[in-house]
Amino acid sequence: MKRFISMFFLIVIGFLLQTTVFPHIQLLNVIPNLLIVLTAASGFMWGRKFGLFTGFLCGGLMDCMYNDVIGICIFIFVVIGYINGIANKLYFEDDLSIPLAAIAISDLLYGILYYICMFLMRGRLNMISYFLNIMVPEAIYTIIFGIFIYKFIHWLDGKLYPPEEVSLDHEENKLFS
Amino acid sequence: MRKKTKITIDPKYILVIILLFCVLIGIISYRFEDKMTPIRSVVENVIAPMQKGINTVGKRIAEQRKYFTTLQTEVKKNEQLQEQLNELTIENKQLRQNQYELDNFRKLYQVDEQYANLPKVAARIISSDPDNWSNTFIIDKGAEDGIKKNMNVMAGEGLVGIVIRVNNSYAKVRSIIDDDSEVYGTILDSSENCIVSGDLELMKNGVISVSGIDKNAEIEDGAEVVTSQLSYKYLPGIPIGYIRDLEKDTSNVTQKGYLTPIVDFSSINMVFVITEVKASNELEEILK
Repeated sequence: MKRFISMFFLIVIGFLLQTTVFPHIQLLNVIPNLLIVLTAASGFMWGRKFGLFTGFLCGGLMDCMYNDVIGICIFIFVVIGYINGIANKLYFEDDLSIPLAAIAISDLLYGILYYICMFLMRGRLNMISYFLNIMVPEAIYTIIFGIFIYKFIHWLDGKLYPPEEVSLDHEENKLFS
Repeated sequence: MRKKTKITIDPKYILVIILLFCVLIGIISYRFEDKMTPIRSVVENVIAPMQKGINTVGKRIAEQRKYFTTLQTEVKKNEQLQEQLNELTIENKQLRQNQYELDNFRKLYQVDEQYANLPKVAARIISSDPDNWSNTFIIDKGAEDGIKKNMNVMAGEGLVGIVIRVNNSYAKVRSIIDDDSEVYGTILDSSENCIVSGDLELMKNGVISVSGIDKNAEIEDGAEVVTSQLSYKYLPGIPIGYIRDLEKDTSNVTQKGYLTPIVDFSSINMVFVITEVKASNELEEILK
């Protein structure tokens, strides 16, 4: 439960940062995607249900505030959260390379899905150009922020649930604790 | 002893339920846009005030970044020069506009009002889109300040975009460089019509695309484009930008090219909303 609440606040803070502060620090016309980091990290660390929860909130916020049609971002984020939840089997606490790879792949997947939903449908066919100019720089920029955020979530989780409680198959045991 | 046995649902069923919900709510929000406004306004009323507060931090960071990249004195000097330049360009524009008003515009379109005389409301941009795919932003003026849907938004002396959604105290604006945006324009010198549309692919070069110009029209690089009388959302005569690199379309019927917007979209903080909606009821009825 503590995890749900802390995640909720992290999402709100991440969303606020992303819409207000980050546009001022953009590089190559690209801003990092904090919401993807949160969705991927929560799914990866705590399992499918958490991925779904975080994805639903992130997508819902984005849709309600900025999109014309509600549902598209929820769809994308929920799928990403779920896939990361499956990858939860690969989760080990001290390893940093796999979660970062997960975040990068999630961001690319987000780019591709968003492109398919919003751009390909309107006849913008030059996928490679979008891939090179938007998706890849965004993924790289996101990883840089992802390292810190992932570490932070990790630290926060350690504070909320002291280490001796954590067991390896914690997805089943701890979801509703 | 456990107090309760918890009901556990396999996450994959939750996923399916959420995905079905997405499809349903997508259809509802597409088909009945008005039904979604309560939900949207609740979210906006919670989030937007927080964004307003944090945005000052963002601005400060932007300023700090500026100082890092250039020397302080140079920034100041630059600002002074920029101010001077702005004044001069506005003055110049005004003179040109006046002259133009006298010469052409009235005769051609019988417009008796210029955008400069229209009632305006100043607004501050409090947040922008969270992803890299679209170009919309939220301003801190809404229905209470007299903002309505389809009002035109300007910054400095150029067109920025159009209001697409209004809340009580906030409004969402889609800028003309958004990939979804299309504006019907007129080229000043030749009074040819054209379509100015945002293009994400071209945005990295700081231009947007312009198309639909008659193939026989001879237009020089740097010709100014203003909003057309024919557009049924945009008020006529608002400057959009300058044309360049025109070439024949693949269809060989029209010409297309690039347009450099007058407004520098990377650094706008303040905008003006023209509180007058183009009266296009008749046109809409005809189109129906």
